[in-house]
Amino acid sequence: MTDKLTSREAFAQFQRSASERWDALWQGEKLVVSVQVDSSSVAKGALQVLAACREVFRGTDAIVREVSGNGAMWMEPAVEIKRPGEPPIVYGWIEPGDVTSLLAGELRDRAVGVRGPNGFAGIPPLSEHPFFQHQHRIVMEEFGVIEPDSIEDAIARGAYGALAKVLFEMTAEEAIAEVTASGLRGRGGAGFPAGIKWESGRKARNRPKFVVVNSHEGEPNVYKDRRIHEGDPHKILEGMLISSVVCGADRAYNYIGGEYPLGIRRFRKAVADAEQLGLIGENILGTGRDVEVRVGTGGGAYICGEGSALMYSVMGVRGQPRTKPPRSVEEGLWKRPTILNNTETLAAVPAIINNGGEWFSQIGTATSAGTKMMTVQGPLKHVGLVETPMGVTLRTLIDGVWGGMREGHQFRGVQTGGVSAGPLTAEQLDYAVDFDSMTEVGGMLGSGGFVVFDQHVCPVDFARYLTAFNRVESCAKCTPCHRGNPALVEILDRIRLGGGSREDLSLMERTSKHIIDLSLCGLGQVAPMPLLGMMKMYPQDFLDHIENHVCAAGACPIATPVVLATAAD
Amino acid sequence: MEQSSPSVVGQIASDPALENGAHPTGDAIDLAEVRQILAQFHYRDFQEAQELILSALQEINEHYGWVSLPAAEVVAAHFGTTASRIYGLLTFYADFRTEPRGKHFMLLCHGMACYVMGSQRLIQHLEDDWGVADAGTTADGELTVQVVNGCLGVCDRAPICKLDADYIGDLTAEKLNDAIRTAIAGGGSWRDAHHPVVTGSFHDR
Repeated sequence: MTDKLTSREAFAQFQRSASERWDALWQGEKLVVSVQVDSSSVAKGALQVLAACREVFRGTDAIVREVSGNGAMWMEPAVEIKRPGEPPIVYGWIEPGDVTSLLAGELRDRAVGVRGPNGFAGIPPLSEHPFFQHQHRIVMEEFGVIEPDSIEDAIARGAYGALAKVLFEMTAEEAIAEVTASGLRGRGGAGFPAGIKWESGRKARNRPKFVVVNSHEGEPNVYKDRRIHEGDPHKILEGMLISSVVCGADRAYNYIGGEYPLGIRRFRKAVADAEQLGLIGENILGTGRDVEVRVGTGGGAYICGEGSALMYSVMGVRGQPRTKPPRSVEEGLWKRPTILNNTETLAAVPAIINNGGEWFSQIGTATSAGTKMMTVQGPLKHVGLVETPMGVTLRTLIDGVWGGMREGHQFRGVQTGGVSAGPLTAEQLDYAVDFDSMTEVGGMLGSGGFVVFDQHVCPVDFARYLTAFNRVESCAKCTPCHRGNPALVEILDRIRLGGGSREDLSLMERTSKHIIDLSLCGLGQVAPMPLLGMMKMYPQDFLDHIENHVCAAGACPIATPVVLATAAD
Repeated sequence: MEQSSPSVVGQIASDPALENGAHPTGDAIDLAEVRQILAQFHYRDFQEAQELILSALQEINEHYGWVSLPAAEVVAAHFGTTASRIYGLLTFYADFRTEPRGKHFMLLCHGMACYVMGSQRLIQHLEDDWGVADAGTTADGELTVQVVNGCLGVCDRAPICKLDADYIGDLTAEKLNDAIRTAIAGGGSWRDAHHPVVTGSFHDR
């Protein structure tokens, strides 16, 4: 048990001893086995692999660590082995039964790469693998490296150094100036400049003030924030603390989606450890600053990702948005000034403070600085979570990073922006992935989730799925969204069943316009976007359903046998 | 602070069947145990009490698989609010159930990854072959299915479900049938696999 650190000196001392222990771990003569455990590898038996490793090494001086996944879901469960005199080597597809032979050095063919700059014994560095070579990891830097449950690991790797810098070397104005200079924009989807938000937060005069982190992530295709909680919760916590210190907030909340038990557990552990070290709570590092950190959990309502709804949910009532203004920075949680940021945004802040805003603004594009975490779903070879500089093209991501389509699947399109934008087709993949480029063709970066679909997915049926999601998740506060989305689903179902008419297409456009123009909150205002995008990109599919009663993909309930006959012709 | 309405509370609590949380499928919620769970959720002021309500409900929902009306009454009393307010939360947030789970519990992922890989067909299959729709339980009380509109986050194995403690990926209708039959034949219930997920102090004090 460590005493609270009550001065900068004490913190520096702790940092030094932590990094000495870190270096000793990697340079020592002990075998270090790191099992990558996160919510997706657990589904594939990572906990059993971890238990098997612990069993094998019981009573020896080998070190078995529980790290988080490095984003490469396609090679899970993965285990990293560092033998004395060798660099750490990452092995993929390890089942519990493989552990003995893996440790005996028999599974060389499952070595994916070396974590480090150079290859070893014919195994190339991990960074040369197509999945990793386009990546630039800032938020994900420590994924798979540190033990997320160990604050000592995190501090050895530099965590809370930026907090100390803000507390002891910078004024609030200087820190905000760095964030502004970095060009960091909100990673939740809206892309609002973080520096401006912080500046208005700092200027707000009402007390107390709050910082709220939006880790709700209710979209059906994004899992990046969950992975930050699992991979490096300290980055989020440090970002929260920096934001609280410079904006003068008394309390910081992290509102986490309730579906993320592992992330919640690891984040709570990080908070408890940081509190014990005196990094949060009263009198942080002896500076006289107090910041209380609280954790709230959601209950599976998509709408709670909307700012005002989220705050109602934190306050323990139904999460339903309210009209704005007042903006939350004037009147948010408990009617006090509230600075609301996305998890990924805050997790990028420590690096910005450490390296300067200028450094961050050089990465990415002119209007979208920095890196972005992106997730993909669909029949691709290397499905996983990546962090690349803004401005990379979709083609690079899909064909390069994510390895292209699996055997037997033909690329049909890629849905962008979750349930809030439209798809792009094969001809449009050269658009840059940033906040602004894709909007001209109806796409959107959103929170960075892409869904690739193949010939088995019918655009009409997909539009129905996306609209039905919005129907189920509508909070029912305002009529255009609450009644409009079910109406759209009804029309789409008519078309899917083969009873649609050309009139229905214009009816859907009119209804969509009502929803877009009249809905109360941002989520309602974009709810029909996927449908409109599908209609724009795949008009022929809609017409085929209406006029020829044919669903080329065979997904809709009309006349499936006829479709099969047509396909065979 | 708001006070719970005594007349309504009294009426419900005085029904012995409801006091035990009894339900046609025979699952019961021990209110003394609920009070024990709630004891972790101590609060210093009104704001903190409000902020803890959802976490407390989640803990109870995780533990029992549902929140009964009497349990909601106990929660309301603990936080000094009304049962209708609690019920409003239970019916708004998708994670909460107001009816007990069957012996086995399946979360069927219907996120976009699973959709593009065919989860819609699986939902239909469960309805056709097992007679169980979203949030429903089979007539024999063996299986409850909840369709997850969000994402279970195991997208490379889509479509995927979580049955009791096990994730089953790359699902087909046959694989789903096998998994359900194996679970039912194996006895036990979702409780055996259940580990409390949210532990430690709340609000981290």
